[in-house]
Amino acid sequence: MSVRRAALAVVGLALAFLVLAPLTSIDAAQQAGLPLLTDKLWFRIATTVAMFVVMASAWNIIGGLTGYASFGNVAFFGLGAYTAGVVVSNLRLPFALALVLAPIVAAAFALIVGIPLLRLRGHYFAVATLGVGVAVGEVVNNIEPLGAATGLFLPIVRSDLFFFYLMLGAAILAVLTTWVILRTRFGYGLLAIRENEEAAAVIGVNTTFYKVAAFCIAAALTGIAGAIFAQWNSFINQDNAFAISDNVQMILMAVIGGTGTVLGPVAGAISLELIIQSLAGGGSGSVFSQIGLGVLLAVCVIFIPRGVIDFFGGRSRLSLRYFRQTLRETSA
Amino acid sequence: MSLLAISDVSKRFGGVNALAGVTFAVEQGDVLGIIGPNGAGKTTLLNCISGLYRPDAGDIRWETASIRGLAPYRIARLGIGRTFQIVRPFPSMTVRENTVMGALFGRPGARLQPGAALKEADTVLDVVGLGEKRNYPVLRLTVPDRKRLEVARALAMRPRLLLLDEVMAGLNQVEIEQALEMVRRVRDSGVTIVLIEHVMKVIVGVCSRALVLNFGRTLVEGPPSEVLKDPRVIEAYLGQRYARDQQPPPYPPPEAGEGND
Repeated sequence: MSVRRAALAVVGLALAFLVLAPLTSIDAAQQAGLPLLTDKLWFRIATTVAMFVVMASAWNIIGGLTGYASFGNVAFFGLGAYTAGVVVSNLRLPFALALVLAPIVAAAFALIVGIPLLRLRGHYFAVATLGVGVAVGEVVNNIEPLGAATGLFLPIVRSDLFFFYLMLGAAILAVLTTWVILRTRFGYGLLAIRENEEAAAVIGVNTTFYKVAAFCIAAALTGIAGAIFAQWNSFINQDNAFAISDNVQMILMAVIGGTGTVLGPVAGAISLELIIQSLAGGGSGSVFSQIGLGVLLAVCVIFIPRGVIDFFGGRSRLSLRYFRQTLRETSA
Repeated sequence: MSLLAISDVSKRFGGVNALAGVTFAVEQGDVLGIIGPNGAGKTTLLNCISGLYRPDAGDIRWETASIRGLAPYRIARLGIGRTFQIVRPFPSMTVRENTVMGALFGRPGARLQPGAALKEADTVLDVVGLGEKRNYPVLRLTVPDRKRLEVARALAMRPRLLLLDEVMAGLNQVEIEQALEMVRRVRDSGVTIVLIEHVMKVIVGVCSRALVLNFGRTLVEGPPSEVLKDPRVIEAYLGQRYARDQQPPPYPPPEAGEGND
């Protein structure tokens, strides 16, 4: 059944990976004359894109499927990063252990803050989680063993390919997790909560458990991304591990791509990150890129509130009728 | 032993005593109609039974055990289904998907496989008369159909007790007849029903007993036709002066307007 189909998909992806992996090694790419993967900058961008696929997909689980717009997911990213920092730098233990511990720490934190915070709804939840995101960063910034304001340095590991594949693996894990959730009873429960929480409760959905579980899953995935980022970047501090702008960015990606879908956040992360990278530049360029992003978000939310996946997907087409219909259906 | 026993339940919102010591029992097979003027505490009572509110005082017993303060999902899985007066469908889903949710989550005992849940949903949709519209998105449904969907979603849980909160309000005469027929079918399938209604035709037409709430208290309880003739009930609906001036009392009392939460 659906489990078998999920297993088939995993096997298929693994096979595709095995087939494509040699092609993406630098030597092979050079021989084949593919400039894309030999360029360090492109590796960096590709890894960043994968990182945001993880974060946007994870955000989608709590924000898109469950309907709780979290502005505090970056705290899970930061906690994952600092877990890796402590494991690798302070305790001098292998990075693999950090990869295991980071999601556990992030999920445990989500459990602790989720139980009280997930009683709030709408704007209240958004503001409360925003507070948590900022607060955790500030606290970490003042703890001496964590490097305080200086930040934490990790031993440098030079392998663009390694981090790219690691992040890609995390991205695939995040997408598969969403895919599996949407095909289980758990996923239906989350959707019911998003659609109408009281109605969900009185038909037998254990709303508190479902919400907290979704929050923890999102936290674990985001924590993994944080841990990989820490080792990849080999330096973490409050600014790069607890950046609220990252949180805003993951929300934008999920919303523009299409919340509540499996591939929406992926499409959003890829397209938005590429746009950001191409708009990025020194001086006035970055100002225009910020303005451009704001305009883009406004246009997307108003005209394609279901995201680009829905827009380019099967049942819709580029027409005024589509815009009018989505406007009508989503403004109710 | 009663199926559901409410004893001395109170619920206060700030300075308002929405429920001030309500006591009654529902027996297996009953169709109990709850009536009362706007703000009498009818919906608050249903919210207390289904666990959305926790009563400030008193006890609610389901068969032998107290269910006061239990989480709504636990109460639902004991076999208590409900509808909402202001309908609360899952808006982005189809009629069938909405109904399946009840079968997937609300069943007491073993979980249904998705296939079985779909079958259950289709059966229930036929009972409420939405069978032909099962693939409609909810947003395309009319108000009467949305009320039917509320009932379908609750029925898919296979409840032993069904709480209906004004499923007939806003329906025209023909639709009320159809809805009455639906309630009778549900009753005949062995489900005990508690319904809140302002449409007196429904109270007389289907209820085995009626209970009048006023200012959070039980005013009168008994067979529907007697309850509706009771001077205290007419007074509660139409005021003291009207009750005094009108001899003999009008029957049935005119409908009160739309209730609100």
